[in-house]
Amino acid sequence: MYVKRLAVIGAGTMGADIAYVAANAGIPVVLKDVQQEVLDRAQRHIYDLFENRVKRGRITGEQAEARRQHIQYTTENGLLSDVSLAIEAVSENLDLKKSVFRELDQVLPPLSLIASNTSALPISALASVTGRPDRVAGFHFFFPAHMMKLIEIVQGEETSRETVETLRRLAEELRKIPVLVKDSPGFIVNRVLMAAMAEVLRFQEETGVSYADIDQAVARAKIAPMGPFVLADALGLDVTLEVAETLAAHYGERFGPANQLQQLVKQGHLGIKSGHGFYAY
Amino acid sequence: MPSDWEQQLIRRFTLATFLEAVRLFEEGIAAPEDVDLAMRAGAGLAEGPFHWADARGLDVVLEELEMLAAEVGPRFQPPASLRERVQRGQLGVRTGRGYMTYVRRSRRQTEEGE
Ligand SMILES: NC(=O)c1ccc[n+]([C@@H]2O[C@H](COP(=O)([O-])OP(=O)(O)OC[C@H]3O[C@@H](n4cnc5c(N)ncnc54)[C@H](O)[C@@H]3O)[C@@H](O)[C@H]2O)c1
Repeated sequence: MYVKRLAVIGAGTMGADIAYVAANAGIPVVLKDVQQEVLDRAQRHIYDLFENRVKRGRITGEQAEARRQHIQYTTENGLLSDVSLAIEAVSENLDLKKSVFRELDQVLPPLSLIASNTSALPISALASVTGRPDRVAGFHFFFPAHMMKLIEIVQGEETSRETVETLRRLAEELRKIPVLVKDSPGFIVNRVLMAAMAEVLRFQEETGVSYADIDQAVARAKIAPMGPFVLADALGLDVTLEVAETLAAHYGERFGPANQLQQLVKQGHLGIKSGHGFYAY
Repeated sequence: MPSDWEQQLIRRFTLATFLEAVRLFEEGIAAPEDVDLAMRAGAGLAEGPFHWADARGLDVVLEELEMLAAEVGPRFQPPASLRERVQRGQLGVRTGRGYMTYVRRSRRQTEEGE
């Protein structure tokens, strides 16, 4: 199948960027949210992203305008009746996502695909509330989606080959890099990243070497773009702790969140967003 | 020259990364090529964990893991797929095959010359 027109459900941080990426590749998009003010904010954000490309000489003003016109903003389901794919990017909550999947299953054409941008929820659980589990998959962008090249295509228990192939072709059309991963907690990137982070936290606890020294050593060795403590502060320590706990519950103690992390979160130190985490801001 | 603690940190970081990557492969969740692509494009690593190990030599990686398992803890125990490859003499880039396969330039050149 070929995706001629797609819908993005949820116009928050990720949804707005995903709609931009599709429009920029020339694919018509319906961007839906339940709040009009979120749609207005998304529209301004997308306008800025296109203006940036014009400023940097990548596209002309006319091209930017034409591509912007590819996006229709809506709070209704009416425009969804002829899309061949919906990418769900609503808030990370299983019950909410299930209800969105049930609704999409009702309003989309029967042969359309439904993909979720979830970072951590099981795809098979979402697929199971629809009458088309073979046409459901994960399509996991990374933040910020207008820059990050990777898309993890997540194969649920019943996801068909054809669904995977359609999504793979779409990812390439969006000028992204697709990889295939079977449905499992953390998929590829978050799982491997958190395993390394947990090990570094243990090292820190055992040796007492400072966070800054460790971050600098990792940067100096050029093995990662930034040290794990800078990264965790940027992601949010509460988010990092939750991911570590989920992974520990599934895969065991090697992911067990370290004491430093638990204590910081208990004290309300959540990283950059609260002004204090492993570092003070 | 990095200090002792720095070397130990880098060793634990890179080997923990590699071991988790190997679990994804052994559990049938993702292919080595896809894991490497994902870690470069999604996490900004300079090199994917499988290519890192193949380039270093799987025999070398095996030895390092055995050392760390003894020093730090059994979580660094070398995985089965690594032992198998080393036993079969599939040591990575140097032998043309490890977790991934590599076209050996010298052989291809002789083939082309024939
Ligand atoms: N932010 C990240 O770094 C990141 C990265 C990768 C994946 N994700 C995933 O992307 C998804 C969205 O995350 P986000 O950060 O964009 O969240 P967000 O809170 O910025 O946006 C979610 C949007 O969904 C809307 N929404 C809620 N219920 C809806 C419904 N029934 N129909 C339509 N819209 C509805 C909300 O109004 C909100 O605008 C989550 O599953 C998250 O795990 C986030």
